[in-house]
Amino acid sequence: MKDLKHLYEFEKLLLESNNDLVRQAADRGDKIIGINCFQLPEAFYNLPGITAIHVRAPRTGTMEMGTYYMTSMTCEYCRAVVERALEGGYQFLDAILETAACSQVADCFENLERLQLCNKEGFFIAHIDAPMKSDENAVQHMIRMTRRRILDRLTEEFGTDTSEAALRKSVEIHNEVCRLISEIGAYRAEENPRITGYEFAVICLVTYACPKDLLLPMLRETAEELKTREPDDEKKKKYRARVLLVGSEIDDADYVKEIEEAGALVVADRYCYGSYPDRIPIELNDEEDVLTQICRHVVKNNQCPRYMDMEAVKYRKDVLDQLAKKYHADGIIVQQMKFCNFWGYERAGMQHIMREEYGYPVLSMDRPYVVTSSGQLRTRVQAFVESIEIKQLHQEGKGGDD
Amino acid sequence: MGKAINSEKLGKMYNGKRYRTRREWRGLKDTWYDYTRWLYIWKTMIKFMANPQCLKGFFRYRWMVNYLAAPDFLDRHTEGLRGPQLRIAHKEFDLIVEHMCTTMKTLFEADQNIGGDPEKSKKLVLLDENMMSQVMNGFPNLTAIVPEIPPIYTSSTMAQDGVIHYVDVCEEYGVPGDVCPMPAGELGVAIEDDYPKVGICMLHCNTTCDGSLMGNSLEQRRFDLPSFGIAVPIRYTDPETRDYAAQEIRNAIKFVEDVTGEKFDWNAYFKNMKTFNGETKCFKEWLEVSKTDYPQVIGNNVALYRDAYYQVAGGRDDTFLKNEQEICKIMYDAYDKKNPVVSEVRHRAILWGVQAQYYSAFPLWLQNCWGIVPLIDMLSLTSTDIYSEDDPEQAYYDMADLYAKENMRNRSEGGLDVGVDDLWRFCEEYRADMVIMYEHTRCKSMTGYHGIFDDEAKKHGIHLIWVPHGLMDPRYASRGDMRNEVNRYMRTVLHEEPLDPSLEDFDDVKAW
Repeated sequence: MKDLKHLYEFEKLLLESNNDLVRQAADRGDKIIGINCFQLPEAFYNLPGITAIHVRAPRTGTMEMGTYYMTSMTCEYCRAVVERALEGGYQFLDAILETAACSQVADCFENLERLQLCNKEGFFIAHIDAPMKSDENAVQHMIRMTRRRILDRLTEEFGTDTSEAALRKSVEIHNEVCRLISEIGAYRAEENPRITGYEFAVICLVTYACPKDLLLPMLRETAEELKTREPDDEKKKKYRARVLLVGSEIDDADYVKEIEEAGALVVADRYCYGSYPDRIPIELNDEEDVLTQICRHVVKNNQCPRYMDMEAVKYRKDVLDQLAKKYHADGIIVQQMKFCNFWGYERAGMQHIMREEYGYPVLSMDRPYVVTSSGQLRTRVQAFVESIEIKQLHQEGKGGDD
Repeated sequence: MGKAINSEKLGKMYNGKRYRTRREWRGLKDTWYDYTRWLYIWKTMIKFMANPQCLKGFFRYRWMVNYLAAPDFLDRHTEGLRGPQLRIAHKEFDLIVEHMCTTMKTLFEADQNIGGDPEKSKKLVLLDENMMSQVMNGFPNLTAIVPEIPPIYTSSTMAQDGVIHYVDVCEEYGVPGDVCPMPAGELGVAIEDDYPKVGICMLHCNTTCDGSLMGNSLEQRRFDLPSFGIAVPIRYTDPETRDYAAQEIRNAIKFVEDVTGEKFDWNAYFKNMKTFNGETKCFKEWLEVSKTDYPQVIGNNVALYRDAYYQVAGGRDDTFLKNEQEICKIMYDAYDKKNPVVSEVRHRAILWGVQAQYYSAFPLWLQNCWGIVPLIDMLSLTSTDIYSEDDPEQAYYDMADLYAKENMRNRSEGGLDVGVDDLWRFCEEYRADMVIMYEHTRCKSMTGYHGIFDDEAKKHGIHLIWVPHGLMDPRYASRGDMRNEVNRYMRTVLHEEPLDPSLEDFDDVKAW
């Protein structure tokens, strides 16, 4: 396929947390805020004078110092963030908002705070208690926490306008990004997709790493470009199976590239920093205030394993089934970052439930934070692809017994 | 050998095998007392086994074999003790054994796997192991029962390898090997269908930790009962979380009412909370005495017992209160006589982090071997607030507060203030010069503070000894490995000699 015009630029933007667009936003006077989770509604952070990016540690090398502070038995994302902070890599941030999405993430940001690793004048870290269920009490809790601990704080510290009108405008920008990503992502459902999983992962991820208003022109152009992009000839296609990629945070699109190079095209995703549910537009009505609607959207669409009510537990599996069907996935790859408690259990459960109760072939893997060319990953994906092919042959009656 | 502490070399008790006969000579009076309590434990166990349902349960569930080590469990937790400490230990541990027998009898009599009574089963509300039980204080016609305690929690204290089979089952299912063995073991029991089949509904909770929460959702598929999850705020010290937490309690109570048809009885609730408050008052007296030069209720005599009455009994069993009042009396008598708890106080220590279940007698070893007085442990330092005994609206907030301050969780969640800074405050309050820092290597909560603990201990001038362990899985760090960490520090950093050299190095890998 012909290269996408902005793909190289997007890849370049992902190489640094403090990338060109973030610097541009800072130069125009925006306060740069690091966030870490879907539960800190992204729709807030297009408020005037605010830019939010997800905290990442691209191009992480070793993490000895992070390991000293957090030990070798904790999630590498957290250790990489502490390491990067110790290196001075987040000095450009004016604030960090964090949900104690898991204990390790909470500890990670507490390390940053206690060790005073971000020293910009007026810098603060706000800790938000996010709900753990999908019911109405959770919605009310989310409203209280986001109002008091995010919006009011932004007003106090930065004088940010968090009025109803400003929030509505912020949601509009957020929704435009979501619609563009949905539009671009929809091509993955085609029989011969005009976009690869890697390309989509890059485009989606860059929306977490840049000020949205500055990114939008490139996103619009990319969406336009894709309307007429010709996919590779069927005979030239490099993949042998279509997969849904699920699991914990992926902030390096090279992981998707590795999977695709082993023969599995990633046609849909459900992982943190991916497109679902984060890039579902928030459809606002005029009956309720905007804050309530945003919070309800986040709580009701949440796919985090920390949501503990059995309705949410079941819903997460149903969503995978719907995504797999919509994008015609032949199988599901469930991955977790090593030492993640939530995804460790969720992965084990999904491996059984999606296979035994929903009938999908499932590959279950753990992985490090730093994606390097991994023979083990390739071997496992290749074997998974082969197993899907064998299964398909059996179903077509060409595979002997079974 | 004799009645004085450290008069007997305790290392000789260990022969590298599962010892079946051991009797420590503590002087005539104490030895006789200990022997009569030993007989009492056997009597309790024989009475338990005489119940046909319990006998059936014994042969149905593989984890029951761990309870054959109960007398040894008592011996381990009274090792080297004399006088008041021996009596306090027996008062506590004997009651725990009795309470466990009652719990298991209740389970087996209702257990549908072994032909139990279905009507009795309908009166049982299952609670997750890692949650407070006060929400059941207002349901006098229902019995709160924690099915995970007999197979996992107490099993691993009875026999050090008692639950590793279930941890392995969980790993074979696909859960990574790096998760905490407690929820892993609990899930393993569920996967093997080794829980008694009882109950009308289930309450679960996001305490203690992320792993526990996640294990619950998979376990519930096996329990197949109507269930309600109480979501307790992670940032519970933030006042903005309180309304949410209180509403969760209201919703949980309504769930139990809807499923069982029972009505929450506020009179029963407040009666039980009065008992609970009474227990808290006793506990606070223990703590006050521990701050003096003559601490009396310390180490093992606090850790496991506090867990039993604070979390599991929750005020519903006033036997605990009577027991504690008697302990207070023994304590004050001993304090007045300036009774020493060790032959020589070398260090006053706070035990922080999560203790190893398979080596719950470790604090006794610290006392006997090195003269390190384990004044108090993190798991016991939970809420000491006095809760309302007459205001229903306040009671929702009280229960929510207690759920947030469940053992361990009140320190592992909630931020650095309660997880780290409180430690230095306690060191000052208890005049401790040493911290024994349990490092449960697979705990994803406290390990994230590792570097901060190290940095700040130096600033505070506290001796910090890291003791890694595997909580319920001794394959990660044996009891001997745990002791070696202390031995090394005492020898190489402090250049001290042990009070009982026979305890410095001995083989108990195969012991119960």
